[in-house]
Amino acid sequence: MAITRRQVLRTTGSGLIAAAAARYLPAGSAHAQAGAKTLVFGGSIPMSGASAETGQNVLFGYRAAIKKINEDLGGVKIGNETYKLDVKMFDDASDPSRATTLIQRQVDEGINYFLGSFGSNIVLPSCAITERARRPMVQAGAGSDLVFTQKRKYVFGVFPRASLQFETSADFLKSLTPAVKRVAFIYTNDAFSKFQAEGGKKALEDKGMSVADMIQLPAQVSDVSTVLSSIRANPPDVLICCVHDDAAILIARQMVSTGTNVNLLYQTLGPQTEAYRQALGNYANGVVTQAYWSEGAAFKGSYFGTAKDFADYYRKNFDRPLTYHMASGAACILAYVEAMKNAGSIAPEDVRDALAKLDFKCFYGHIRFTADGDGDPKLLGPLIVQNQSGKVEVVFPEEAAAAKAVYPVPSWKDRA
Amino acid sequence: MVALQTLIDGLILGGVFSLAAVGFSLIFGVLGIVNLTHGIFVVAGAYIALLLWSGLGLDPLVGIPVIMVVLFATGYVYQRTIIQWATERATVVASLLVTFGVALVMRNILQLIFSSDIRSISPSYSFVSFSLGDLRIDAVRVAGLTTSLVLLTVLTLFLSRTSFGRMIRATAQQPLAAGLSGINVPHVYGLTFALGAAFAGASGAVIGIVAPFSPATEAIWTLNAFVVVVLGGVGSPAGALLGGLLLGVINTMTAQYIGPSFTNATMFLVLVLMLLVRPQGLMGNAFGESR
Repeated sequence: MAITRRQVLRTTGSGLIAAAAARYLPAGSAHAQAGAKTLVFGGSIPMSGASAETGQNVLFGYRAAIKKINEDLGGVKIGNETYKLDVKMFDDASDPSRATTLIQRQVDEGINYFLGSFGSNIVLPSCAITERARRPMVQAGAGSDLVFTQKRKYVFGVFPRASLQFETSADFLKSLTPAVKRVAFIYTNDAFSKFQAEGGKKALEDKGMSVADMIQLPAQVSDVSTVLSSIRANPPDVLICCVHDDAAILIARQMVSTGTNVNLLYQTLGPQTEAYRQALGNYANGVVTQAYWSEGAAFKGSYFGTAKDFADYYRKNFDRPLTYHMASGAACILAYVEAMKNAGSIAPEDVRDALAKLDFKCFYGHIRFTADGDGDPKLLGPLIVQNQSGKVEVVFPEEAAAAKAVYPVPSWKDRA
Repeated sequence: MVALQTLIDGLILGGVFSLAAVGFSLIFGVLGIVNLTHGIFVVAGAYIALLLWSGLGLDPLVGIPVIMVVLFATGYVYQRTIIQWATERATVVASLLVTFGVALVMRNILQLIFSSDIRSISPSYSFVSFSLGDLRIDAVRVAGLTTSLVLLTVLTLFLSRTSFGRMIRATAQQPLAAGLSGINVPHVYGLTFALGAAFAGASGAVIGIVAPFSPATEAIWTLNAFVVVVLGGVGSPAGALLGGLLLGVINTMTAQYIGPSFTNATMFLVLVLMLLVRPQGLMGNAFGESR
């Protein structure tokens, strides 16, 4: 019997489609690989560009949780099936437009569960795509209120939204002696920092502190000498910087070199990183920041055990220095897995509903989301930490504190 | 007093901008190439300074000659191969795309080698400042400004007093006549590009001690160089100095009297006005009517 050209094309085409399906069939469809089914988490993350350092920190957190669940726990049982986990994250180069292209492609390829990038400017357009596709996204990189106040149902964050991140900070500043009377904010004009500073101003004013200045910088900062001149002319008790890592280093360095002293420098992002401590050396001592997790915290639960156990596991398996971002990234994976177990299903809609109802304790803390999808501020608000003698110590809230806050801090020249 | 402090801050910042832009200006003036790899040379200079400082304990400013030699060699090879191929086979405009593409590749290579983490160089004088009455001056930035002025003066003397400088000027003004006079024009183009790369690398050492850097920051330094050249004019160290100082003062004055968030907006407003009113820049094209 003669084989027609059409038959050849049909057979070849079906073969190619079958091969592609075996390669790319994602997540919930649980492609079988030698008997094991795999749940695939997709997304983009800054592995290059301005947010790369923190982006990679979050990525290492994702990897740590995947490694633990696959290699130590033998996968995860959902319903009657046991699944391995896999993560397919692409480099978005800290570029929102590249991120949206990558996310759309993954949605088209059938990825059902998404993890977040780092930076509200990237997550905002990305989560609009996953929301439209009705695929859940659990993320540890976007705190902007815009992520959580636009009636999205499929986006969850393991932090409170930016405007609610200062509740603990306000209590901390209120607890200091001598009393903090005047506070100044420096913030960059980006989707996260602006909301955080405005939320911070409100939280502080509600506690009776006066916010003397709200100084807005452009998103890219190359010099703050003029701003520091005005700070020196009228120094506040506490200077709060809601900026990203590079700007935090620039501000702190210029404060030291121009002798701009305040009773307390509080920078929400930056001091957590190794780069900050290397750039500032001893001058990093006394600087206060936020941490959404600390290895000294009394959190514990299934999977990793205690916070200290997570830190030990991470250091044993990875070289990149540990920051709270790794813990946040790992918490995203645990939240997904726990939600899937509770749902007994891997269907995206069921997983979304289970995430909304999630109430579970682990090494990261007590994970529960608000109705808008951000972390419950009472449970997932930041710890206040301070660099003291080269170590990062939790100084507030009191029940989690490992050290007493140094306030007022010595002048820069006494920290050399 | 506030105005004086702002002016001093602006001039100090501008000195760094000037040095970072002079290589771009020279290459633009002589070869007619908008070198979008410029920021890569700046950041590469910062990374070499970091290696010398952390590995050998060599002060970044003392390490400048080493950095300049490395980038001079790199720049020469780059111009005589990739850029020359592109401009010979297409047009000078093709170099715009080529340098853009190479910048993307180089940014990723830098990231592979040094990671994407933010780096800083903190020599012993990084955090020193001195006071003149109520004025506060950041020593490390003054060191940067001084280095910039010294290097720009050296470049000016080099271009005006040496036979090689005359060859560069002759090639920039009339490449055909220069060739007919026995000057090896492609070689001079290569050396000029190399000189531009060397000065960009030197500015990287200065920038490394005043600001954090990573492979991603290269784009900012290309952009700043472009603005400086539009303001000051093409091809001369004096134009780069004027443009850089002006950009620095515009930055700090805007931050002080309008608002820190408007610095970039003002910078680009001035850029647009300059292109409308005096597109050749304040000092004009150093190489006259040839282009």
